[in-house]
Amino acid sequence: MSAPVDASVSASVEALAEGAPAAVLEATGLVKRFGKVTAVNGIDITVRAGEVVGLLGPNGAGKTTTLRVLAGILPPTEGRVRVGGVDVAERPLEAKQRIGFLSGDTQLYQRLSPREVLRYFGRLYSMEADRLERRIEVLVRDLEMTEFAARPCGTLSTGQRQRANIARAFLHEPELLILDEPTNALDVLSGRFIVESIRRERAAGRAILLSTHVMSEAEYLCDRIVLVHEGRVIDQGTLAELLEHTGEKNLTDAFLHLVERCQVSAASAAPAVPQSKAAEGAGEGR
Amino acid sequence: MMRFAIIWTILGKELLETLRDRRTLMRLVLLPVILYPIFAIGVSKLLGDESAARAARPSVVAVWGRLPASFERVLGEAERVEVHPWAGAPEEVRQKLTEGSLAPPPFPDPVDEEEAIEKGKASQITAGWSEPDNEVLLAARAALGRREVDAVLVAWSDFAPAIEQDRQGQVSIYYDSVRPDSTTARGRLDRAITRARKVIRTEREVNHKVPEGFSTPIEALFRNAAPEQRRVGQLLGSMMPMMLLLMSLLGAFLPAIDLTAGEKERGTMQTLLCAPVRPLEIIWGKFLAVWCIAVLTALANVISLAFTVRRLLPDVESVAPSVFLLTFGLLVPVTFLFSALFLALAVFARDFKDGQNALMPATVPLTLLAGVASLPILELDPWTSLVPVLNIALLIKALFLGEVKTALIFWTLVSSAIYAALALLLAARVFAREQILLGGQEGARAVLGLERRGGGVPSATFSMTALGIILVVFYYGSLSVAKLGVAKQLAVTQLGMFLLPTLVLVLGFGFSARETLALRLPPWRGALGALLVGLSGGVVAAGFLVRFLPPPPELAKELGKMVLLDGAPLPLVLLLTAVMPAVCEELLFRGLLFSGLRRLGPVIAIVGSSLVFGLAHGSLYRLLPTLFLGLSMGYARYRTGSIGAGMLIHVLNNGLAASLLYFAPEVAASTEQVPWSMAFAGLAVYAAGIALLRSAGDPEPRPTLTTT
Repeated sequence: MSAPVDASVSASVEALAEGAPAAVLEATGLVKRFGKVTAVNGIDITVRAGEVVGLLGPNGAGKTTTLRVLAGILPPTEGRVRVGGVDVAERPLEAKQRIGFLSGDTQLYQRLSPREVLRYFGRLYSMEADRLERRIEVLVRDLEMTEFAARPCGTLSTGQRQRANIARAFLHEPELLILDEPTNALDVLSGRFIVESIRRERAAGRAILLSTHVMSEAEYLCDRIVLVHEGRVIDQGTLAELLEHTGEKNLTDAFLHLVERCQVSAASAAPAVPQSKAAEGAGEGR
Repeated sequence: MMRFAIIWTILGKELLETLRDRRTLMRLVLLPVILYPIFAIGVSKLLGDESAARAARPSVVAVWGRLPASFERVLGEAERVEVHPWAGAPEEVRQKLTEGSLAPPPFPDPVDEEEAIEKGKASQITAGWSEPDNEVLLAARAALGRREVDAVLVAWSDFAPAIEQDRQGQVSIYYDSVRPDSTTARGRLDRAITRARKVIRTEREVNHKVPEGFSTPIEALFRNAAPEQRRVGQLLGSMMPMMLLLMSLLGAFLPAIDLTAGEKERGTMQTLLCAPVRPLEIIWGKFLAVWCIAVLTALANVISLAFTVRRLLPDVESVAPSVFLLTFGLLVPVTFLFSALFLALAVFARDFKDGQNALMPATVPLTLLAGVASLPILELDPWTSLVPVLNIALLIKALFLGEVKTALIFWTLVSSAIYAALALLLAARVFAREQILLGGQEGARAVLGLERRGGGVPSATFSMTALGIILVVFYYGSLSVAKLGVAKQLAVTQLGMFLLPTLVLVLGFGFSARETLALRLPPWRGALGALLVGLSGGVVAAGFLVRFLPPPPELAKELGKMVLLDGAPLPLVLLLTAVMPAVCEELLFRGLLFSGLRRLGPVIAIVGSSLVFGLAHGSLYRLLPTLFLGLSMGYARYRTGSIGAGMLIHVLNNGLAASLLYFAPEVAASTEQVPWSMAFAGLAVYAAGIALLRSAGDPEPRPTLTTT
């Protein structure tokens, strides 16, 4: 626990930095405390254009809090977040213009239709009326929403609602997409649809940071994976690199291996345990 | 810097969404459309019935002392005056009056009276002079207080001789200005004395051979031309400000919670926060939306009121269309104040239920301020025009009564604008803390010290406050219906003073009716237990409790008579004395009150609700039996989680008692006790019922608190 990022990890980060596309998201030394509870304890994350980065970790690891801080919904206690070179704390509105945020529990207005929701958010993103209408038509077509685009969101199924939600996150064509468990509670069909949409956005050159509990999804989607535990990064790299670090054959085993190793070291450094419990409550509750 | 386009967008969306909510439309349109006509019809019917009943009833006038023949004849001929010589006079007073050892009290100086009238202070004549306490006054006061008589006419010992000897004689008339019956008697006596004066004068003129009319050069007739409906207008004037303000308050209350705490609860707040929008812009958009809805609510209420007054009460004078327009204009700053205050409190709440409790500390004083305006002693003056909410309520009242001073309108408007601005400043201060939009509980506690969190049922504070309001309404209401027949009185009390306020408070503040009023069927064991308790409770109460504190026979007799409703048929008796109390009283005591107290523990809920239930029956002798019954019904609600069990007990208990009195009316007055054997048999059945209730299922859980 005392040295979470070992030498090989740092080496791979440096290797990536050379000649790679520009970083869209750069977060350094992120700390988020709720009162005495530390939910995020010094996380660094970089996401480049056209890259999907997966944020993995057990429940209460601080993933959701991290993503909310990165999206500018929560201010960090310490550290800095820059999106497309814009500091989120200093110029929040400009930064948020560049971010599309979506989480599994993000809800839409029950009594508005998806089309009305999109129009509303388009105006909040200060999109021009013409561009907004055209963009809505494209999204309704691409995300196959024609059938339910005029029905109140309260009457939609979970899958339909999540598609409307995706449309809302993609609406203003942001440089960075932050997706917190986007396929949570969806059936296989809807989940696959969302995953394919994410791949399309990557192909369009967007930077994508997503958290998930579905290992197969992470294997299929992510160019790089960041493993967090108790508010810290315990390992990161490509799928191949993670398997190599752990000597396991698949991501699930690698994940378990890393988390277990972390818990063993935590047990030897006793005071860390109550802190982790507190972080769990704070991280998931917000 | 705020962007108005963004605020405008948020406002538009919030209004669209709120107006699509059917509940909003109900509150906005349906409630006012129904409320005012019902109120107006009720008031005019009540007042009409009351005054008609009073006019038809003869006045009982006690005459203490000897009357000269001519006066006695005139009094005897007077319409609807029953003369009862020496009624209610204590023996000592009677003796002294006959002996002539009591002198009449000094009369007020007539010159002062005229001056006072000239100076426009007519009311000071009676206020400024009061008869010093003396034996006769005290005896008359006691007789009036016992309601044996409506007025006492004291013919002082010199009166008859003086009239017979062509001198001036003195009589005193004692009446009770608070009792309408007594003031009616006073008026009738006044007319009779005027007539007697004329008769005696004519007699004297004839006897002394003076031309007729010699001593009465001028004859004038004063007639009150004001129609009865004026009083309806007055009542409207004193009640309307309160109703308008309360409805406007409700208009801001629910949207303020829904747009903040409700949005957090539904999970849409986070969606909004990831858009490039400043928290302050969000709050401003929401504030304007809440205000718009509150103003719309006020408008709908004023329009409904205007139609009601025009259509249903066409005779109400002095309410010009401009009055309604002005009234609406006055509601605009008040709704601003409500909206700002409510939103400032609601942003701290995490969910809807939490929001309801967070707003209570503001709602209760605001309601009181609007409510006290209906008291007749409060008028708009330089002081009250500076009290927030109250000043607007009083100004609206003055507008309806047609007594407004321009300077006071000015001060009212200025102070209201200042209060609205202050509320907005507070709101802006609160809104400036960015964290609150995500539900920062710590912030709320730090700023305002709000700690209670709620479930779908009201808090204990709310229930107790609500009960306080209902009991005040009950107290004043029962005074105003005291003259109706017993049947009507019961119906008005149960439906109008228990059921209606309970439903309005529960639904109006958005609590779950099902949870608060425990609207579910009891399990079959519970129902069976309630059946046994209901059948035996009365016997147990009579056999054990009443034995130790038997009511005086007169009270028992009167109660018995009241229950029988002056000889109404049995089905009606059962409907009014058993079914209606079982429904209305249970919903209030075992519903609203019990649910609020339930948070403090089952014992407090059961004992507290029973205690209030017992006290509300307003008699020391009925306290023990009603307390006992209340405890049984409270236990039934606790064990079954259903209002139905209590209702069953209540309807059986009351129905059995009423039937017994119906078929054997002599029971009421009998002093015989229930035999011990019967008492113990009853106790056995009762115990079996309680045991069944106990095993009916899991006791009702404490209302759930919201989890973090």
